[in-house]
Amino acid sequence: MIEVKNVKKKYGRKQILKGISFTANKGEITCLIGINGVGKTTIMKAIMALTPINSGEILIDGGKIRKESFEKITFIPDTITMPQQMKISEAFQFMADFYKSWNPQRAQELLQFFKLDENDRIANLSKGNTAKVNMLLGLALDVDYLLMDEPFSGIDIFSREQIAEVFTSHLIEDRGVIITTHEINDIEHLIDKVVLIDEGAVLREFNVEEVRENEGKSVVDVMREVYRG
Amino acid sequence: MKNYLKLVHFEVNRFFKMYLIVVGLVIVSQLIGAVVESKEYLKNIKRTLLREQYSFSEYLQEGYQAEPFSQFLNSGWVILSVFMCVVILMLYVFFIWYREWFAKNTFIYRLLTLPTSRLTIYFAKLTAIMLLVFGFIALQIILLPIEHQLVYWIIPADYRIDILLTEAFNFVSLGGLYPSTFIEFILLYGIGLMFVAVLFTAILFERSYRLKGIFFAIVYSVLSCVVFISPVVLHFVSEGYFYPLEILSLLLVTGAIVLGCAIWLATYLLKYKITV
Amino acid sequence: MDVKFNNRDPVYVQVIRHFKEQIAKGYYVAGQEIPSRRELANQLKINPNTAQRAYKEMEEQQLIYTEGNLPSCITKDEKVLKNVREELIIEAVDLFVGSIQSINVPLSEVLELVKKTHDAKSGETEESK
Repeated sequence: MIEVKNVKKKYGRKQILKGISFTANKGEITCLIGINGVGKTTIMKAIMALTPINSGEILIDGGKIRKESFEKITFIPDTITMPQQMKISEAFQFMADFYKSWNPQRAQELLQFFKLDENDRIANLSKGNTAKVNMLLGLALDVDYLLMDEPFSGIDIFSREQIAEVFTSHLIEDRGVIITTHEINDIEHLIDKVVLIDEGAVLREFNVEEVRENEGKSVVDVMREVYRG
Repeated sequence: MKNYLKLVHFEVNRFFKMYLIVVGLVIVSQLIGAVVESKEYLKNIKRTLLREQYSFSEYLQEGYQAEPFSQFLNSGWVILSVFMCVVILMLYVFFIWYREWFAKNTFIYRLLTLPTSRLTIYFAKLTAIMLLVFGFIALQIILLPIEHQLVYWIIPADYRIDILLTEAFNFVSLGGLYPSTFIEFILLYGIGLMFVAVLFTAILFERSYRLKGIFFAIVYSVLSCVVFISPVVLHFVSEGYFYPLEILSLLLVTGAIVLGCAIWLATYLLKYKITV
Repeated sequence: MDVKFNNRDPVYVQVIRHFKEQIAKGYYVAGQEIPSRRELANQLKINPNTAQRAYKEMEEQQLIYTEGNLPSCITKDEKVLKNVREELIIEAVDLFVGSIQSINVPLSEVLELVKKTHDAKSGETEESK
């Protein structure tokens, strides 16, 4: 379980996170929803110790993040995390060199699934394919937790469908996933849990099926209620 | 340790193409320089003979010969190429960090989330820089005998005063690079290492606190300098109370302190303060 | 399988309904093997946890059964299968009657219309096949 407890962060004078708390379970897809600039990406960076927080605590399976944690949790940001001049195969080699949890068979499987050529240079890939490679680098790690920042933004519809398909496959099963988005439509049926965020605070945290069952509301209904109400 | 070596290999590899280009430039410019300077030297002699209406034997008697090889070593061909290497390495000290942030990609995310201590990245980059420095120095060691041969091959023996190759290493433009004793070696490259480490830590200050960080970085760098050179200051203030060797030892101590602080601060910044 | 889910009803409930419809249609027959949870999630583009929940619920309703590690199968209990069909019919009729009553239409008029529309629609689907 990933626990974010009362996390506060200031950037200059601006308070970006005003005491954010939520949890994300293993085996579930948790979606952080909010318009751009409300601090979703900052939360992910904070979980990965890529940016300091002013107060609060973040625990992964009950412990603070350590270097060993990076075999258990990985972050897929919205830009590719490998140098442009690398070939896909070289990027694979880099991952294999440093991560025990790198799964080369799975990487090959994903390469075929996404119809990518490992001899291509990252710099020469289309936007959609770059996003797929970036996704692949995270998915081919046998980690328990995956953080994905806006995996659907700015790419074509077919790439989007392919990526959405990943969520219903064994590639995600049993892992804990946190994804951020500002547009829920593509993935409403894929997610387990929603954390609505606005201006650095959690407005509501709910289980999607429970809300449908008990209140007969869609995620968008709840959003409308929370943001307008 | 294995990850450290892999990272060093990776870092050196990334700069290698650029490095080879610079190496090529150095070789070409110094070799051309050796030829051009030698020809120029001969031309000068001929001009002198013509002007002064000397015969060659008179010329020799007047003691007009010079040391063409040392002239070459002090020419722009050598000085500028050495200077170019220094400048490029200085720039790369910054670029080796900033390239991880400022590109279309965000490789820093990957580096900082490797399942290895973040200090390893720092040491790998530090090692890479030092290796590049040693590479240039080795290149110069290889180039000198070749140039020595070249110059003496173009200029006939009668027209020149020879210097030994070993003397060439003490020349102004190169003298600093080739220490003759172990202590000097430690001091020279130790200071180099410390200097790069302090710059790295200053860069990490900026990367951690951004605008405010620039201020911290400057204060930190100045403080480091002051601590390091304090024995020298002490030497002047005490008006020679200490033996030079004592001052030297003190410099080693303050250097070690500055280096230690740089590493300790880098550990802290990378672990708790760095921001992508 | 192309199923359109709405966003307001629990997805697992919609999955169960989808199965019931398939049973009523005769697409699934007694004792037939059904896709694994993972396959189903992939086919319907839903969360594997939701597929899991739907299967659990269907097992409780005895619509399907699982023996040991074997794949789940549609129940062999004819009574349950018959009930599914009846349940769907009753549900549809209830809904229909509800909307008819709300606009006060006499039953005889409606029945005539229902027959006509039904025939026309069946004809259409026949043709399109």
